[in-house]
Amino acid sequence: MRIVIAEDQVLLRAGLGRLFADGGHDVVASLGDADSLPATVSSTDPDLVVVDIRMPPTFTDEGARAARELKRLHPSLGVLVLSQHIETTHTIDLISLGGFGYLLKDRVLEVDDFLSAAERVARGGSALDPHVVATLLSGRRGDDPLAALTDRERTVLQLMAEGLTNTGIAKRLHLSERTIEAHVRHLFTKLDMPDSEDDHRRVRAVLAHLSATQP
Amino acid sequence: MRRRHTEAVRRLYVTLVPGLLLGLTVVSEVAAVLLCWDLTSRFNTVMYAVSAVVMAGAGALVAARQPGNPIGWLFCVFALLNALMGDAALGWGLRAAAEGWPGVAVGEWLATTSWLPSGLGWILTFLLFPDGHLPSRRWLPVPWLGAVGFVLAVPGWSMSPDRTGEFVSGRNPLAVEALPTDALLSVGMTLFIGALLASAASLVVRFRRSTGDERQQLKWFAAAAAYASVALPTTFVLWSVTPGIELLAATAITALPLAACVAILRYRLYDIDVIVDRTVVYGTVTGMLAATYGLTTLVLGTRLRTGSGWVTAAATLVVAVAFRPLRDRVQDVVDRRFHRARYQAVRRMADFLEALRAGRAAPEEVQGVLRELTDDPRLELVVFLPESQLYVDVNGVPAADQQDEQRERIDVERAGLPIGRVLHRAATQQDQTLLRSLIETGGLAIEISRLHVELRRQLAEVQESRARIVNAGTEERRRLERDLHDGAQQRLVSIGLALRHAQHQLGTSTVEHATRTLDEAIVEVKLAIDELRELARGLSPAQLDAGLAPAFLDLARRVSVRVEVTAPRERFDRGIEAAAYFIGCEGLTNAVKHAQATSISLSARREDGRLIVTVIDNGIGGATPVPGSGLSGLSDRVAALGGALRIDSRRGAGTTLTAELPCGS
Repeated sequence: MRIVIAEDQVLLRAGLGRLFADGGHDVVASLGDADSLPATVSSTDPDLVVVDIRMPPTFTDEGARAARELKRLHPSLGVLVLSQHIETTHTIDLISLGGFGYLLKDRVLEVDDFLSAAERVARGGSALDPHVVATLLSGRRGDDPLAALTDRERTVLQLMAEGLTNTGIAKRLHLSERTIEAHVRHLFTKLDMPDSEDDHRRVRAVLAHLSATQP
Repeated sequence: MRRRHTEAVRRLYVTLVPGLLLGLTVVSEVAAVLLCWDLTSRFNTVMYAVSAVVMAGAGALVAARQPGNPIGWLFCVFALLNALMGDAALGWGLRAAAEGWPGVAVGEWLATTSWLPSGLGWILTFLLFPDGHLPSRRWLPVPWLGAVGFVLAVPGWSMSPDRTGEFVSGRNPLAVEALPTDALLSVGMTLFIGALLASAASLVVRFRRSTGDERQQLKWFAAAAAYASVALPTTFVLWSVTPGIELLAATAITALPLAACVAILRYRLYDIDVIVDRTVVYGTVTGMLAATYGLTTLVLGTRLRTGSGWVTAAATLVVAVAFRPLRDRVQDVVDRRFHRARYQAVRRMADFLEALRAGRAAPEEVQGVLRELTDDPRLELVVFLPESQLYVDVNGVPAADQQDEQRERIDVERAGLPIGRVLHRAATQQDQTLLRSLIETGGLAIEISRLHVELRRQLAEVQESRARIVNAGTEERRRLERDLHDGAQQRLVSIGLALRHAQHQLGTSTVEHATRTLDEAIVEVKLAIDELRELARGLSPAQLDAGLAPAFLDLARRVSVRVEVTAPRERFDRGIEAAAYFIGCEGLTNAVKHAQATSISLSARREDGRLIVTVIDNGIGGATPVPGSGLSGLSDRVAALGGALRIDSRRGAGTTLTAELPCGS
């Protein structure tokens, strides 16, 4: 997988580069800011762009804006935004595009999960940080349909929202794919949501449901 | 150029023409006096001459000062007419008859008719006084009626064969038998006198409607008219008793134009009310004393039948003893009658204070009460705030330009300290006296308003400063969040990455490679520890644990510039110490970063229960506390502790930052 990294902190940039290299990927460009991203992407044609959300000059949301711009120019490009903090407003609508990920930076220490999330995004799937999903799931009212889910179904829903496929969920939970499929069917019925074979559309539906019913 | 030219011509015209008219009047009167001398009463001759000249003089003065006001011109023209027709013509008629000159009849005829234009002059004066306009459009028929009456009465009077006594020949040489002179005269005089009465009524109407300046002007005129209305009939009645009484008539006739002149030009300089007041009081007292004297003389003379010397002495004694109490009594009555407005105004103010005490009125309403009682809707009350040395209105808005030429001001003081100022329109002495007594009576309300305003301003200042402190706290938290996320957290992530990499290397590469990666990670750990330490120091100055003096020394050591430190060893309240420390920090930072100082003095000392912290540098100066800057934040911090922060930073003269913090005894 060909990767472009945009990260203003030198050490972290180098660390990310080494991480992808160790995982057998090809880092084709490393940038210190978001300005030159579109040009670099056009010239190097990567599968995935990893971008820090806060970058010069204002250190607020340069990365998120660059990500949106990249997805507009290259809809099939995988874009993975790394952030220091949990933030839901930008991410929910970006993630519904597909081929988009939003992860907290400390996820990189879970090397395998991180790399598989990156690969998923590059393939057009989604990756949403478990903390963000937990935020979406937490603090719900008593009459929320989510309250009717079993703990297992809740976990499955959370992993779906993170962008994992049934296979991925089965692997994470050490269960069979058939069991997962059954849980998915149940929870979709409970939440009165249309099931979909398409992983991405499934994520989108889950997120739409979560953000629409968010308190 | 042309404009200046016309302006000059206009000025010349308005001084020259009245002067010319006055000159002609004087010349005519001189001629009249010379012609009449010894042929008629000398007193009358001089009196009429003087009255005409006074009228012409008053008219000329008014016309020159206020050429737009027809009153001046009316006086000029009618005084001249009077001088020519009444006095000079009369003189000619008499002298010509005595000396056998021609033109006797013409002179006599003119003199006989002269009272008619005079009357018309007074009709117009009454209607137009004091501003030259009719009281309203409804009065427009009056001058026309007067004019028609005049036109009918002139032939009706002057061409009547009944005019016989006025002519030496005993016969009116201009009599026209064919004219229905009786009918003309009766119709004409009815209209003429009607117009005269109506014009006098217009003055009354005008007086009742008038306020302020116009009322004062009308009072002048009314005073003279009242005097004339008393003096002229008195003269008439007592004519035969004492010829000296003629003096009354003379003063009455000259008083009216004089009063008109004063009313138009100088009404603000003299207080008519005082003149009226004194006149009435002393007139009444004199009358009563004269009556007492007469009565005493009469009673004693008839009862005791003693010599007149004793009676006179006794009567004088009675009068002398009665004078003071009588005058006081009359003054009291007059005061209640004449100063009713003032008396009531002060009462109203006292009522307002009563309502204020009972909680039915707000102290800020005192401005409205003053406006109402002085009838000055633009009157403004501003109160003085000693802390900021500012004058503000009762709503706390700083008062704008106080150097208003249109308005006068009265400073309000209580216990010798200024508490406010009243701005009012230029007023007469009497209005000022009223205003002063109202302010004196309502002083308490003004003082309470001032305290209200002061309290509100301080409260607003406290609220603003509290908001700034909260904002500063929020801003500080934001900065901390940034420092933590972008600093320590990122560093920890990269350390984690390095460890993962080392782990990877241990499986795939040599141990040396992994060791090098781990060394790098340890360097990162040390940096992270340093960063966290710096961050923690910003949260609370740990150096203060040992007191202000060591903390200041520590601050001085961290600055590249030479800093001279003086600080007491004693301990203060922790909040005070922290404030002092941050003042030191900010002062040093400013001096080094912005002022390019090469020498700084940082000192703290106790003085009169206050801790005085000063930071003096020799830098470029010119520092001002911009909102949101460190200095502004310091100012709030100091104010929150009840202290004060001063910055003296003239450009090129270095900066002195002084904070005074109350620290108990």
